[in-house]
Amino acid sequence: MLRKLTETVIRFPKTTIAVFLVATIFFAFQFPKIRIDTDPENMLEQKQPDRVFYDKVKKEFGINDLLVVGIVNEQGIFNSDTLKRIAKVADDILKIKGVIIEDVVSLRTSENVTSEDGTLVVRRFMGEIPESPEAIESLKRAVYGNPFFVDKIISRDGKAASIYIPIEKKDQSYRISKEIEAILKKELNSQQKYYLAGLPVAEDTFGHEMFVQMGITAPMAGFFIMALLFLIFRMGVAVVPPMLDAMLSVIWTMGLLIGSGFTVHIMSSMIPIFLMPIALLDDIHILSGFFDRYSLTRDKRRALLDTMKDLYRPMFFTSITSAVGFGSLALADIPPVRVFGLFVAFGIMAAWLFTNTMVPAIIMLMNEEKLAAFLEKRQKRISSRDKILKAFGRFSFYRSKAILWVSLAVLIIGIMGIYQIRVNDNPVKWFKPDHKIRIADNVMNQFFGGTYMAYLAIDGSKEDTIKNPEVMSYLDKLQSHLESLKIVGKTSSVADVVKRINYVLHNEDKAFDTVPQSQEEIGQYLFLFSMTGDPNDLDNFLDYNSQKANIWIQMKGGDNIQMRQVEDSTGDFINKNPPPQGIAIRWSGLTYINKVWQNLMVWGMLKAVLGSFLIVFFLMVWEFRSLRLGIISMLPLSVAIISSYGLVGLTGKDYDMPIAVCSALSLGMAIDFAIHYLQRFKTAYRELKSMEAAHAFMAGEPYRAILGNAIVISLGFLPLIASTLTPYVTVGTFFALLMAFSTLATLILLPAMIQLWGKSLFSAGGGSAFGGKQED
Amino acid sequence: MKIVKIFIISLTFLVVFGHKLVLAQGGLSAYDIITQSRLSFFYAGDDMKAKVLMELVNKNGQKRVRELTMLRKDYEEGGNQKYFMYFHQPADVKDTTFMVYKYPDKDDDRWLFIPAINLVKRIAANDKYSSFVGSDFTYEDVSGRKPEEDTHTLLRKDILDGKDCYVIESIPKSASEYTKRISWIDATDFLPLKEEFYDKQNEVYRRFEAQEIRGMNGVLTITKRVMKNTKTGHRSEATFEDVEYNLGIGDDIFSERYLRKAPVQWIK
Repeated sequence: MLRKLTETVIRFPKTTIAVFLVATIFFAFQFPKIRIDTDPENMLEQKQPDRVFYDKVKKEFGINDLLVVGIVNEQGIFNSDTLKRIAKVADDILKIKGVIIEDVVSLRTSENVTSEDGTLVVRRFMGEIPESPEAIESLKRAVYGNPFFVDKIISRDGKAASIYIPIEKKDQSYRISKEIEAILKKELNSQQKYYLAGLPVAEDTFGHEMFVQMGITAPMAGFFIMALLFLIFRMGVAVVPPMLDAMLSVIWTMGLLIGSGFTVHIMSSMIPIFLMPIALLDDIHILSGFFDRYSLTRDKRRALLDTMKDLYRPMFFTSITSAVGFGSLALADIPPVRVFGLFVAFGIMAAWLFTNTMVPAIIMLMNEEKLAAFLEKRQKRISSRDKILKAFGRFSFYRSKAILWVSLAVLIIGIMGIYQIRVNDNPVKWFKPDHKIRIADNVMNQFFGGTYMAYLAIDGSKEDTIKNPEVMSYLDKLQSHLESLKIVGKTSSVADVVKRINYVLHNEDKAFDTVPQSQEEIGQYLFLFSMTGDPNDLDNFLDYNSQKANIWIQMKGGDNIQMRQVEDSTGDFINKNPPPQGIAIRWSGLTYINKVWQNLMVWGMLKAVLGSFLIVFFLMVWEFRSLRLGIISMLPLSVAIISSYGLVGLTGKDYDMPIAVCSALSLGMAIDFAIHYLQRFKTAYRELKSMEAAHAFMAGEPYRAILGNAIVISLGFLPLIASTLTPYVTVGTFFALLMAFSTLATLILLPAMIQLWGKSLFSAGGGSAFGGKQED
Repeated sequence: MKIVKIFIISLTFLVVFGHKLVLAQGGLSAYDIITQSRLSFFYAGDDMKAKVLMELVNKNGQKRVRELTMLRKDYEEGGNQKYFMYFHQPADVKDTTFMVYKYPDKDDDRWLFIPAINLVKRIAANDKYSSFVGSDFTYEDVSGRKPEEDTHTLLRKDILDGKDCYVIESIPKSASEYTKRISWIDATDFLPLKEEFYDKQNEVYRRFEAQEIRGMNGVLTITKRVMKNTKTGHRSEATFEDVEYNLGIGDDIFSERYLRKAPVQWIK
């Protein structure tokens, strides 16, 4: 059937190309509809329970997205000039549309409750800017006298102040952050440094960087691959079919993705980069085979048809196994990963279609004279490279036992490495360490209580439960425990507010810096508090009916591992100190959400890997009509994958989102070499009827094609290392590594195995395939 | 007292008219309207007693209730006042009392009695814009603001709910919680029907509406008023019941003694 297709397209090459180009234009027209999604919450399903709960917590406690400005003066901020500038910055920030004025927290806008001569005084820390040393001293006393604000709006060493800026809508954050930056630039001088942090900023920057990746890194990788192809074939025109194949499959896939309404997430932004090298693998086999045959026959049509005939099966199976590898990602519980996997799978099959149609059509249009002239030149040059390949072939053939022992050793080391693997991720670390987001994050975590937020939601199941002194004291105890952990920088809750009021009402007597022991007292203190500020001051900590409370936990690190430790330690504490009757405690917050989806990712990927391993294995058994050959074809890539992951474990690289994704698809890609190798070997063995002769043949054109592929695909991912986003870097490095391992395994381990067991295999197990001839 | 009051009002008008005669056609200036409105709204009668039921409703529709009895005594028309409040609801603050001495020219004096610890605490808050008992009303919304603090412009005449009214723009002379206030003031009885407050981003953030006006003791009174924060979606509805004027509330009521032990005859 495919042969008929090839014959048709060879007869009408121009029409074929035209049809595909028109279809491509249709897909390209979808591009302007692109929507970028950088919300980390979307890593979870809309209905995932932890996400639903997080949304509920945000709604119940009126939690908005937050931008944070840090202003640092190494000489200290307590001088009238710096304070004046900070005040001006805060005043101007309030004027930015979209900023929630009454919820801005800073020295300028926040109110302090103190006791002076028996009077309860409520006033802004810096309603007026202190000029005299005495006034500055009294401001200092006021701020450091209120633990609620230390480590929050002021650093302990007095060198940094911060402004927390809640915004109404997240999609405004880019504009708002630009306006804030303009204010900071205008109002501060060289003595003060400023840092802008907060999730919305990170997300925006990330979205922007993603565009850069797609607009710059992906085309760069394209050019790089083009250069590699040129080096392999040494002929300009040979670069055209594979490049066109790669480009069209990218356009079709992204066009379909955008056109069917999916958003482009960090994962899907990587599609072009993944697809390009994979799409053109089969084309290299075609070109390589075609050039060899054409130099013998000088008949384009014949040479093409012959080449294709040998390649239909391996090309189909390499494509389908890669597609299965990616498609297995559909088993993951993470929507962006699912979209990524399914669309790459689509792209691979589209590329397969192009390989069978458009690529032969383009070859048919190549100028015969130039082709002939080129091939003559090539013949001479190639002989030296062939010698190396032949030596390589002999080495793997005659040193088979040694190779197997070495492989076994590598395998064992790999497994040991895998045991060292540490599962961990932190989306902030998706930026490189020298990125300004990372720098801001570091600075803020150094001066303040921590930029990573998690919440402990306390549900008392009845109205006013939180006002119960027992419950309130429990919150206080829970906080003390949390604050005893090194990674936790600060916690805040309604208990802090109650304690503060108690303390202040009793003329700042330390003995009253405690939770009062009657419900009336707590109720009346909270009532008093509600008379001193805004009606929504308490909202972040206490719900409207005083049924639920929310403890804010600021952490200095957002690694999943750190979150897990805090979670475990708190779990222990709760087990040993059970909360009062009827109190339910549950984690939430973005740092926690990140941990949740990462957990899902690890298990989801494991499922995907095992799933695709099985499918690929069955495909191989079917393809070779032999159980043992199926197993043998899977072995080299298992060694390759295990060593790659072993290396991850041994080097101490965290098993994070990109690595997890790589794992699922490494299988489908690594098997490609083995399929080509075994398929070609089978054919050769059938014709030559001798293991040695078949090996000698393999060390020629097939090795060349496989090696060409290996070079393109491992080096083709390398431009990713230049990316500003670490997931791209990780993927690039890891794939280059994996492909190198797979090539070695295919070209060294596979021949060695076949040398040892091949004869019995091909004569007994492979009987149905070529048994008849074997008997001769 | 009453005579003094009428005298003062007449005097005010005289001054005003003498001053603004140039305006011709008997038109009132924006300043006059605001001045008169303040007197009608915040200084009605010589004293007043009312039961105030306040519902605070958040964006999600959840409610909190405040029920209090409010006593007010004027010492000078447009001048000093004293307020006494006794809280019936919510249950855990019952018996809490609150007293304010209002001085138009300086910061208020406020005292709160906290029954749970039997303590009267003076509260000094140097702004008039903080929330009144956790509602969207500020202290200023409850007790008024001196007309001299803003620059007033009569924008136009308008008809609101079938009533003729003046629409006046007031811009604070010095930094304030709001940057602009637009008031719709009834042209006949000078009660404010609607007010819109603009924030630093020049957007409306609070909207006041008088929803029910009734004659009590012959004094027109806004018996139902709503303040809505249009940005947060939070709103506060205050209903005034049993409103009585000119009861002759004694000066001694407004003292620490009665804060601790609420005057039963007045608050029931």
